[in-house]
Amino acid sequence: MTHHPAIIGYYTTRFGELWDKSLFQLVREAVDGVMASCRTETESMDAIFFSNMMGGILENNLHAGAKLAEVLGVNLPIFRTEAACASGGMAVHLATQYVTARPGTTVLVVGAEKMTDYAPEETASALMSAASGEEQSAGLTFPGLYAMLANVYLETYGYARDCLAPVPHKNHFHGSLNEQAHFRKQISIREILASPPVASPLTLLDCSPISDGASAIIVSSNKSFIKKSAHAISILATEVATDTISLKGRGRLDELAATRIASEKAFGASGIKPRDINVAELHDCFSIAELLAMEDIGFWKKGTAGQRAKELSTMLGSGGTLTVNTSGGLKAAGHPVGATGIKQIGELFLQLTGQAGKRQVKKAAYGLAHNVGGSGGTAVVTILGQR
Amino acid sequence: MLSPVKLWRRQKEIRSILGKKGKVVTATTVFVPTPEFKKYAPYTVVLVDFGHGIKAFGQLADTHDDCRTGTRVVAVLRKTKEVMQEDVIAYGIKFRIIP
Amino acid sequence: MTGIISYGYYVPRYRIRIAEIARMWGKRASDIEDSLGVVEKTVSGVDEDSLTMAYEASSYALFGQDEARKSIRSVFFGSESPPYAVNPSSTILAEFLGLGTDYLASDMQFACKAGTGALIATAGLIESGFETHGLVVASDKATGRPHDALEYTASSGAVSLLVGAKDVAVEILEKTSYSSDTPDFWRREGIRYPSHGGRFTGKPSYFRHVGGAVRDILQKTKMKPEDFTYAVFHMPNGKFPLVAAASLGFTRKQVEPSLVVPYLGNSYTASGLMGLVSVLEHAKKNDTILFASYGSGAGSDAFVLRATGLLDERRQPFAEHVAQKEYIDYATYLKFMHII
Repeated sequence: MTHHPAIIGYYTTRFGELWDKSLFQLVREAVDGVMASCRTETESMDAIFFSNMMGGILENNLHAGAKLAEVLGVNLPIFRTEAACASGGMAVHLATQYVTARPGTTVLVVGAEKMTDYAPEETASALMSAASGEEQSAGLTFPGLYAMLANVYLETYGYARDCLAPVPHKNHFHGSLNEQAHFRKQISIREILASPPVASPLTLLDCSPISDGASAIIVSSNKSFIKKSAHAISILATEVATDTISLKGRGRLDELAATRIASEKAFGASGIKPRDINVAELHDCFSIAELLAMEDIGFWKKGTAGQRAKELSTMLGSGGTLTVNTSGGLKAAGHPVGATGIKQIGELFLQLTGQAGKRQVKKAAYGLAHNVGGSGGTAVVTILGQR
Repeated sequence: MLSPVKLWRRQKEIRSILGKKGKVVTATTVFVPTPEFKKYAPYTVVLVDFGHGIKAFGQLADTHDDCRTGTRVVAVLRKTKEVMQEDVIAYGIKFRIIP
Repeated sequence: MTGIISYGYYVPRYRIRIAEIARMWGKRASDIEDSLGVVEKTVSGVDEDSLTMAYEASSYALFGQDEARKSIRSVFFGSESPPYAVNPSSTILAEFLGLGTDYLASDMQFACKAGTGALIATAGLIESGFETHGLVVASDKATGRPHDALEYTASSGAVSLLVGAKDVAVEILEKTSYSSDTPDFWRREGIRYPSHGGRFTGKPSYFRHVGGAVRDILQKTKMKPEDFTYAVFHMPNGKFPLVAAASLGFTRKQVEPSLVVPYLGNSYTASGLMGLVSVLEHAKKNDTILFASYGSGAGSDAFVLRATGLLDERRQPFAEHVAQKEYIDYATYLKFMHII
């Protein structure tokens, strides 16, 4: 535990349709939970990073810093981050920069989203703010954008849509082991292929759900605080890359260049290689996204994911060297947008500190979190491990 | 309320694409639309390449069948979304398949 | 000689059979088809309106007329189903056609004769030297009240005319207009469906005004019905134009080539002009055409037209094109017409 900032605590609310709690009540729960797990208080933080995408659009609530100051009863510096679905990863990235720039500091990173107070189509419309105006005007939805990527991938590499189904199938198996997951039920390949079409070729069960939830971690560069903590995992790298917001402007449609660039930078900065990673939380907003991620990050060769996914080698218990999305991914754990990126890192924290219970990957040493905004306009790749 | 100013600014772009012919790069048929497109669903959205670096998104006119890559289309003028009774009408580009 | 330099039209691909509408209301299809002389009508799609159709028709009219279009100094949009109650569609159309800013724009409404009234006005602008070229578009997405007689015939279509002083394919030899205050068909502001006077729409309305205008123009030109190759009358249904023709001394043979209403329905301002488009597919140099529109409220514009040798280059294929169609059911029809 030398010069890297460390994560010393994690708490997540359940993800799902949480009718009884408002956005900031969920935030409160996550913050109280993580503070209790580290036996510390919000007041002793040096800053707070808050990740949320749609508070402005859906609830007409911005100025989150002041809102949080009121809810948590503090006068701390509070920073809100937004990068669509990569808001959480972005918050952890910025928190890491903060504690690195100010050695000896400790910050709270909390992400939350409240998506079920509105009709699903209003929420879907709000989510489209992460796409270009032209994509919105053409009637595209997020399933539609990823469906286009899926069609390019399937056509380019000669696969049928059945190569997508293993992803939600695997992630639901993992979700069944996660008490905080939105969906605890397993689903079969056949059910996935037969579920109602949403945007061809994607069906309902190819798509992550609309969920409420909040997750929080504590990040520190305070060496003595880290030493006293029951659990601590180093942030070995956190890198961000962007790309055109619109699919129209991308160089290639069979990859997310932002993922590729951010991962290359993260592996370079940490000295870790793809084969060293034991556990990964990848951004499976739609089934195709996890296939692309496996290739873009360099776990699998370009064009092979369609075949390899069917082997289910990244599923718990398969004996593979890399296990992906033990939390259940976005698909089964749920996808409260602002919380996801933090949940991903929190899940890795649990894995790397041996606290993952039924989902534990044995001897997990290095973990990678991959958080994407929109159809690939932002990617944040974070590598964690003991150092 | 739909911004009439935004629509007005987009007119020039629409005009520059009207009547142009291009090829479909990729497509998807949307079955679950956002509210303004409910009346038109299901519909097929395509990304069209006109060459010279010009591309555009739009719905197919008059059909929602799946559309293969490489299909030739021409840009036509249609109403592109449902607006409120008091709003300015949103005219834009859709694509008709060239037989 | 002022006339039509080039023209374009738009007929949507969708059709609904009269039998399908009759089925809805428990009527016998053959009864309706026989009494109205209509078998099916056009329906424009859910994302189409009179403006989008006007644009399509105008694109064809201006195709290959790159020099002429730069000289267009007037744009008239005639419709009784304009997209806005207040806002010119003529300028929206001109903007999408890229006609610049140096033109007079005017939206006209006069039931089914807004387009032909605009044609007279445009011819006047040209003859007075105001301009050398003008665009006249007639376009309607006509709606009938469900279960009303008009539901069987009100259809969609657009015709666009590039009018000019020279280089014309169809000369306008004479024009006249017959008008009066006759309340046979109307729609109040804010009210969705038009109302009409039933049988009052016949003798005191359609026949009086069409007859009046045609007799006036025959007198003006000292021409007789047999002098004409073709006769085109506004087509509210398949019967009226034949009755008008007969009563004015025209033969069925002269009228038949223009009779599109049985398979296209009545596209209101575009109706008579669509019949003209049908005739122009076959008209030869020096063929003369008597054309009379009718607009409820009421009035009729009559024209004596003559085809020139240039029609051969400007002719638009029609019969084969409108034969390409797709049938829809009643529920889809209601959706396309924004009734549901």
